Amino acid sequence: MREEISRLVDGELEDEQFDTACGELKQGEGMATWVCYHMIGETLREGSPGMAPGFSQKLLDRLAAEPTIVAPRPRLRVERPMTYAWAAAATIAAVALTGWVALSVVEPNGAMALAKAREAAQVRAAHLRPAAVPQDYILAHQEYSPTTPLQGLGPTFRTISVQGGDGR
Amino acid sequence: MIGSVVPVVRRAARRPAATLVFAVASLVTVPAALAQDAAAWINRAATAARQLNYSGTIVYQHGGHVETSRLVHVFDMSGEFEKLTNLDGPAREVIRSAGEVRCYYPDAKVVRIEPRTFRNAFPSLSPQQQKSLLEFYDFRKAESGRIAGIEVQAYVFEPRDGLRYAHKFWADPNTGLLLKARMLNELSDVVEQFAFTDIAIGARIDRTLVRPSWSTVPSDWQVRQEGPGDLETKETGWTVSKLPAGFTKIVEGFRTLRGKRFPVAHLVYSDGLVAVSVFVEPMASTPHQTGAVQQGGTHVYMRQLDDHLVTVLGEVPQVTVRQIANAVMRR
Repeated sequence: MREEISRLVDGELEDEQFDTACGELKQGEGMATWVCYHMIGETLREGSPGMAPGFSQKLLDRLAAEPTIVAPRPRLRVERPMTYAWAAAATIAAVALTGWVALSVVEPNGAMALAKAREAAQVRAAHLRPAAVPQDYILAHQEYSPTTPLQGLGPTFRTISVQGGDGR
Repeated sequence: MIGSVVPVVRRAARRPAATLVFAVASLVTVPAALAQDAAAWINRAATAARQLNYSGTIVYQHGGHVETSRLVHVFDMSGEFEKLTNLDGPAREVIRSAGEVRCYYPDAKVVRIEPRTFRNAFPSLSPQQQKSLLEFYDFRKAESGRIAGIEVQAYVFEPRDGLRYAHKFWADPNTGLLLKARMLNELSDVVEQFAFTDIAIGARIDRTLVRPSWSTVPSDWQVRQEGPGDLETKETGWTVSKLPAGFTKIVEGFRTLRGKRFPVAHLVYSDGLVAVSVFVEPMASTPHQTGAVQQGGTHVYMRQLDDHLVTVLGEVPQVTVRQIANAVMRR
């Protein structure tokens, strides 16, 4: 879905793909993603005066060095002096907004989960992504999935790989 | 012939002591021609995954996320044991034994203990499910190749409609063990993939390799007994009025889930290869987020129905979970 919204923002979609993507915007994280892509696009286009060569690589390096933050960023306006840091933050915010929306879904202890996720983010950077659905649902589902046993503990990845560092 | 072998192998799985040798022997002597039968082929893969000793490095990918782990699987006279240790990210060990799974998180000093069993698993598909499998998927042999240094043969379950994903499996022809599994969407993008990058099959494995690194849980750790609990099979009062073609109901009942005041209705539908779960529960007074979410190869759709929350999830495209969710109603 993110791919489609990205292409929608870039004006690459035609006809029925366009309609589908517009439909996607109405659901869940779709609108948040659309806003973020616009912010990222604006930032990278406007840039800052005398943008240094190797900007892209530096941006990637900074992104790799940033810890993943699981919290919504309230500011949505680009400010020139902050452009460098903002581009990195915008991308992280895109992930974080998705994560924040996802965390508030059905999770009975949403606030606690958010606090624990922040704790885990301080422990490691890496691929922390909060659970979108209570893991009990996915575990209950896997008990009845015909192909689960083909891969032994393989399908376990679907649940444990989103639990981050603290088992939540 | 496969019909007579399968029940024996299945009984062998429950009584490993005397029949292990026979079970292993029968895996090796199944002729290649039988691979053309989809259900029998998966049968063989499921049995191999349960009854062989193997260890290797396994990579899991979905979206842009990649995770590498060490997997060790042992099957002997005391039963089946498995250990998964992740090699990147926060330290974590998952140990499976005797119907229980323990996850150790040393950084957070937490141990999660969950019961885990596989029901509705191959080879115990109902005749209806086996029929669906062949009707809604086109099972064909694909290319041969090499994975983890082993010559493998790929097979594809190509969906006949847009309500399912394509599944491609690469197996070791000698043992039937899956070395790589991939789910593809209608654009042939890889939605999710597991693959071994190195593996050793069949050798005797030291039992210590499937034990947790902590023989006793340190006293400053938190122990959490968790899990979805058991399904109490009974009529839930809910149904799906119009199911996508090929899906039939497998089971229906109530679960008591941690953190929920009321039991949650759980209905499972399957087309023979994948399953979709429907959960229905009374909604708390605060409104819940609804809509579509994806987690790895699993799509989830939630909607409100009167004063209930309907959650549908499965390894199928978003359109399918949404269709099922919108057709949920009281019986």
